[in-house]
Formats: sequence, C-alpha cells, structure tokens
Amino acid sequence: MITEDVVSFIKNVIPFQFLREEELIAIAEKTMLEFYPQNTFILKQDGPPSDSLKIIKKGSVKVYARAESGEEIINDYRGEGELIGYLTLFTEGKSRVNVVTLEDTLCYLISKGEMIHIINRHPNIKDFFHQSFLKKYLDKTFQEMHVKSLCTSSSDTMLYTTPVGNLATKGVISAFQDISIKESAEIMTRHEISSLVLIDSNAVPVGIITDRDLRKKVVAKGLNVDNPVSTIMSVSLIKSDVKEYCFEALLKMIRYNIHHLLIVEDGKLKGIITNHDLMMLQGTSPITIARDIENQYTVEAIASLSNKINSIIDLLIKEAAKADNITKVITEINDRIVKKILDLAEKKFGTPPLPYCWIVFGSEGRKEQTFRTDQDNAIIYADPETLAEDEEAKGYFSLFSEYVRDSLIRCGFPACSGNYMASNPRWRQPITIWKSYFSNWINTPKPEAILSSVILFDFRPIHGDFTLAESLKRHLLEALKGQDMFLMQMARMTVNVKPPLSFFRTFVVEKSGEHKNQFNLKFKCTAPFINIVRLFSLEKRISETSTMERINALRNIHDTVREYGEEMIYAFEFISLLRIHHQYKQITNGTMPNNYINPDELTNLQKKTLKEACQLISKLQDMIENRYLLGRMS
Amino acid sequence: MSYTLARYKNKLLERFYKDKHIKPEALRNLKTLESIDIKSKLIDTQYVVIDTELTGLEIKKDTILSIGAVNMSGGTILLGNYFYRVVDPLSCVNPNTVVIHGITPGEASECPTIDRILPEFIDFCKNKVIVGHCVSIDIDFINKEMKRLYGFTIQNPVIDTLKLYWWYKKKRLGYDAFADQSDLLTSSLFEIAKEFGVPVQEIHNAVSDAFITAQVFQRFMPILMRKGVVELSELIRIGKP
Repeated sequence: MITEDVVSFIKNVIPFQFLREEELIAIAEKTMLEFYPQNTFILKQDGPPSDSLKIIKKGSVKVYARAESGEEIINDYRGEGELIGYLTLFTEGKSRVNVVTLEDTLCYLISKGEMIHIINRHPNIKDFFHQSFLKKYLDKTFQEMHVKSLCTSSSDTMLYTTPVGNLATKGVISAFQDISIKESAEIMTRHEISSLVLIDSNAVPVGIITDRDLRKKVVAKGLNVDNPVSTIMSVSLIKSDVKEYCFEALLKMIRYNIHHLLIVEDGKLKGIITNHDLMMLQGTSPITIARDIENQYTVEAIASLSNKINSIIDLLIKEAAKADNITKVITEINDRIVKKILDLAEKKFGTPPLPYCWIVFGSEGRKEQTFRTDQDNAIIYADPETLAEDEEAKGYFSLFSEYVRDSLIRCGFPACSGNYMASNPRWRQPITIWKSYFSNWINTPKPEAILSSVILFDFRPIHGDFTLAESLKRHLLEALKGQDMFLMQMARMTVNVKPPLSFFRTFVVEKSGEHKNQFNLKFKCTAPFINIVRLFSLEKRISETSTMERINALRNIHDTVREYGEEMIYAFEFISLLRIHHQYKQITNGTMPNNYINPDELTNLQKKTLKEACQLISKLQDMIENRYLLGRMS
Repeated sequence: MSYTLARYKNKLLERFYKDKHIKPEALRNLKTLESIDIKSKLIDTQYVVIDTELTGLEIKKDTILSIGAVNMSGGTILLGNYFYRVVDPLSCVNPNTVVIHGITPGEASECPTIDRILPEFIDFCKNKVIVGHCVSIDIDFINKEMKRLYGFTIQNPVIDTLKLYWWYKKKRLGYDAFADQSDLLTSSLFEIAKEFGVPVQEIHNAVSDAFITAQVFQRFMPILMRKGVVELSELIRIGKP
C-alpha cells in the first residue's frame, strides 16, 4: 500500500513512465520519502553533489545560481512530478546551482546507487539523463500521440460514424424495368457504369443488374439479349437507408455477397454505394484523391472530393506521419483543387487577356495548411501596355477572381476575414504595382505595412505564369537590402506575443470566458515561431517560404539558426503535430476545430515537450530583443 | 529511569539470561541500547515507527491483532522497507473490533501466532529507536508478550509523537496558555496529521497508520531542530511516553 502510492505517482513521471509496472514496483521498494520545509536548501551552489535523484511529490522549488557579481540567475522553477539533482548525480563535481524549496515540499528519493542500477538496465532512462530534452523525447511524444490517435480514430471508427448517405454516389443512372438486356447494356456502356438500377413506373427501385449479371447470366449461358432485362435482374433488392452507418452497409454486402447497395431515402432511390466506396473510406489514399480531382469537371464534384481530406489526415495520422509531411500532403491536394478550379474558371471566362500568376500566402504559402483554412490568395498579372488592355484585364480578373473565391468557398475554404483575396481589387494588380507595394511597406514600415508584409511575404505561385511571381520575389529580396528600420519593426512585432509560460513555468491560460483554462496554441506558439523564422529569413534574404525549409536553408548562414536549428525543427514539428492532433480529435468528435488547448488534458510528456518548445521561443525572442531593440533604443 | 541506569539494568539482565538459554533474537534485543548512542544527532539516528491493532484495550484479556512498522533513517522514510504481520490472536476476536480493523476471526486464523511474529518484529526493530503515537498502549501489549516469551520487556528507547505534539503546542502557544487548554488539545493521530498536511486515507491498518505516524514524525524533525533539539538524548526527554 505504501509502495503502491509510489508506483502510481512515478508511472506518470518522465522518464519512469517508460518502464513496465514490475520495474516500477522494484524501484518503489527502494524509494525513500523526504520532507523539506519551506526555504530549505536541497542543493547548494559549490556544495556537495546530490547523492540521490529527487522527484517532487508535492510542493515546488527554485533552481538558481549566483553569478560572481552576486546577481541571482534563475534557471528554473520545478513542481510536482519534476526532478531535482540529476545533473550532478553522475559527476563527481560540486553542485552548480542552488535548489531551494518555495513551500513545504515532499520528495521521493532514489539513491545514487539505485539510479546507477536503473540506468544500466534501461537505455531509455539513460538517454534521458544524457541528451537535450527536445531531441531525445520528441520521438517518444510522437509515439504516445500516435497510440492515442489510434485508439480514438482508427478507420474502423470511420465505418461506425459515417452515414452511408455521405458516401453514396448521387444521381444514379436508372432505367425502366421493361427494357431489353441489350438496351440496358448500352446504357451502362454509355455512362461507364458497372450497375444499372431498374425502376417501376412510380420510380421505386425494383431490381438491379451488374456487370457480373451480364457475364454470368447472359454471356456465359448464351442468353438472347433481346429478352427483357427483368428476367435477369436481381429482384431481392438490398437497400440501406441514408442514415444507416457504413458498417451496416458493409455487413449487408458481406451477408448477401453483393458489391452494390442501393441507398434510399423515404423509399425513393437516392444513390448507390459500392464496396470500392467503403474501401476508399477505410484507406483513402492521397493519390486516388489527387487523381480523382484531375478527373472532375464541375465545382460540385470537386467540392465533394475535398470533403475527403479529413479522411486523408486520418490515414496520415494512423501512419504516424510527421506534421511536416501531413501539411505537405494537404497542401498538395489543396493546390490541386485550386488549380482545377482555376482551370474551370479559365474555361468559363476564356483565355485571360494578359499572362497572370495565381499566388497564395499565409499558411497556404508556407505549405503549412492543416484542416480547412481561410483563403489567402492574389493575382499578379503582366503590365498592360495600353489603357484598353488595362481596362480589359481589370474587368476579366474581377469576374474571374469572384468566381474562384465563390467556388473555393463551396469546396470548404472560407473567405479570408481580412479580405486578403484576389477578389479584393487591391490584391489583383499588375506586377509593377505589386513591386511598389512591397517597396513601400519596406521603406515605410508602419504597423499596417508590417501586418501586410507578414501575410504576403510568404507568397508562393501555384498556377499560371510563374515568372511573374519569381520576378516579384527577386524584387522583394533586393528591396530588403540594408533596410534595418524595416527589420527592426518586424522584430518588434515578432517579440510582441510571448509563449504561454508563466514566470513559474506553468502554462498561462484564459481566466474566464468560453476558453477558460485553455490557451490558443496557434496564436501563442505557432505564430510567434513562424514570425521568428520569417524575420531570420528576411535578414538573410532567402526565398524559401515554408518554416521548415527556411530553418534548413538558414542553418549554414544564420548564427542563431546554426546554434539552435536542430531544436527549432523539433520544436516546430511538435507544436504543429500537437495542433493537428488536437483539431483532428475535435473533428472526429463532431466539433468545429479550433486552436484552444487545455494544458491539463495533455500528458506529462506532451506538457514537458511543449514547455521546452515554449522556452525555446522565449529564448529566441530574447535574442531578437537584445539584438534589435535594446541595443538600438538605449 | 535515566538512560545510564537503563543500560546498567540491561547489562545485568543480559548476564542473568545468559545462563538460561536465552533465544538469539532476545539476546540481540538486550544489546540494543549498546548500539544506540544518545549523543548522536537526530538526523543520524535510525528509527522504527510502529503501530498495532488490538482486540481491545484491556491488557489482561485483549491481544495484538496486527503489527505494522516503517523504517526511517533520520528524517527519511524508507518506503519499501516496512513490516506488516497479521496475528492469529488464538482467542476469539471481539466482534466489535472487526468493524474497525476489517480483520475477521477467520482471516486472522490463517496467520501465524504472536509467538512466531514477535521474534521477527523485535529483529526488525533491532538497534533502532521506536516511535509511535500514544505508543505506551502498543508497548504495553508488546511487553505482555515479551515477558511471556522472554521474561523481560522490549529494550529500545521509545518516542511518543503525541508527546512531541504537546511539546510543540506548548512552545507555540506559550506555557500559560497550554496550562489552561491542555485538555482541549487533540490526541487523535489523524487530526494531528491533517494539521501538518499529511494525507490520511480512508482505509486503516497497522502499517498505514504507522506510515502516517512516520510522516507526522518527519514533519516534527525540522521543527525540533529549529527549536534547538539536536541530540537523540533531548528527543528522548521530550518524547518519553
């Protein structure tokens, strides 16, 4: 009973949580309990090294060092479940820090001898004490999140939660039951379908014939094709109501050994579902969706395909894909949807009067889209040579961009609330105007200019004449030369929003309102991180737009990134994945995805990793502040 | 009895029992005082915190139901190193106490008798200072068995946490206030535990209560040292049952 308490506590403590129950019991039997009143020094700077690993059971401590000048440098605040004294546990040297209790504190103690024993048996634990945190535990955090997602959202649950109506092909081809076999085969060939539903004069389905029937009942038996089709159709029509779940449909198909199932609503034929549809549901592949998009010719058809993106994310999460890969695949599919819609628009409005390039920016520009994000797009077109050309271009792109905006909304991409869309005349301009926009923002860095820069400087071409976008990019990188004032304003904006960690290393959450006890992960972590990396990219004038690509490109040329690049990659990967998993969970629970995270709902490992990521953001922000703001203002 | 006198008496006892084929564990217990230095520091002393469950409080007819004990090295509780035995009481368990302890006569009958458990227990306490809450009751019942089995009482120094609590209250409230209110002070282990922030669980047995007592004693350690109680001899003086 005494040791059970120890086990149930330390099994949630990193790194012990990776041990099996019986190993934890063995450790618990060697564990001691120590009480330190408030203001007790557990370790003293330059004092003896720690002789045991201490796990805070209750209470909190401050870890600090005193510089030679006498100044107190606070390293850390630690609370329940955190460790004390592992740095000097395996070194002979003196303690480098003071550890003092801030309140009455209880610690579990594991002696040095026992720790050596544990470390020799468990490489996991050994790694923990010998590597930097973000690096060593990221993979484990992924594994943990992956396992969690598997439990909550496997493809099987899709089968149990998706009504067949969502999947059924609408507008099924049907024919009257009194036509001949030959006629029905002709209809099937004409419409490239593998089954034909036969209806009576009241439009009630009475039977079905499939390719299989034609093969087995007609060709193989040499039946006369002029016979009425009703002689070979399957009359025991198996139907599912639109509201039935897919697994029920699957059960029926298995039970009756059929490949097509009619979907009815109030007795009337509504659609048809095939076993292929169900297989798609279980293992929707990004490739099939991409190919399917290519084969669509109406906005409706593209819109219905774009609904399947969530099942792709499901698949990717199941395959334990990294956030970077998930967003890349989604970006690729979204790009195809946009391109296809632009194709349709070009067909509808005719060839554009001038060459143009469709650019996207924001998360789309950085290839960091997750679930449905706002449209962020613009048009750059070639400079018109005459006034008439100018007028024509204005008229054409106005109708064109409005059509694209509305079509994208139908495909599930909401309009941008800040109106950063090509449908806004400001954001569909000839290349020369675009260049002057960029130059003006850089030369006169007022707050609105910085805001626009943040959004638009991450632009990327996806359709049309790419040389226009390349020319604008070159102009941007050229215009940035020697523009320290602009970079300083950018730096000011970058350090403005701090990560949600308090002075005491606890998460800062909203105190009231709809998101009480939560914080906005996108606003407090993702955005500051992206801003930091963008600032570094603009400093070094590199052309990459995605945060990961930027970090990699900067690793050999930017001093800060050279030092922290690896940690930055891990931290960004983690923050992104956390956001994707969070939103995915909300979607599978049927709620609208948002960016609000409740830290109490994170596992200890996630909390710890997120804290490390936040600390990295703070550290980078401090460096930026020192470099740009302190030095110059004083 | 002064500590020196106790040691002297102890020596005599040892000599007396030497010729009478004394059991080895009893001989070890007789040597306990020799290995404990009363000049040693509180934090360098080994303690064993004990609790017993009894069939009742009448020393003549009631017996020990179970014994629990937890080891402490200075202020550190050694969590895996504890002692818990349920005793076959030989006599019928008083049905009224079953409600408190949850040990039914049938259950206890499958357990070893006190004659087998006491030797294990006194070896567990070897060379340690015994600590308990209202510990004189526990010691009385242990001594009843000690005398029956070995002819002498347990030799370890004994500290009562209730006495430590009263001493602490007296220091805090001042002597006069204490004189007026001494009968208002609680003697309940669980109330004292709550006062010091020690968690008290729903279910109780000898070892869980010994663990609570150990944690209360642990909280006293820094208080004692702050008040200048550094040596074991002073602790024995304050905490004598």
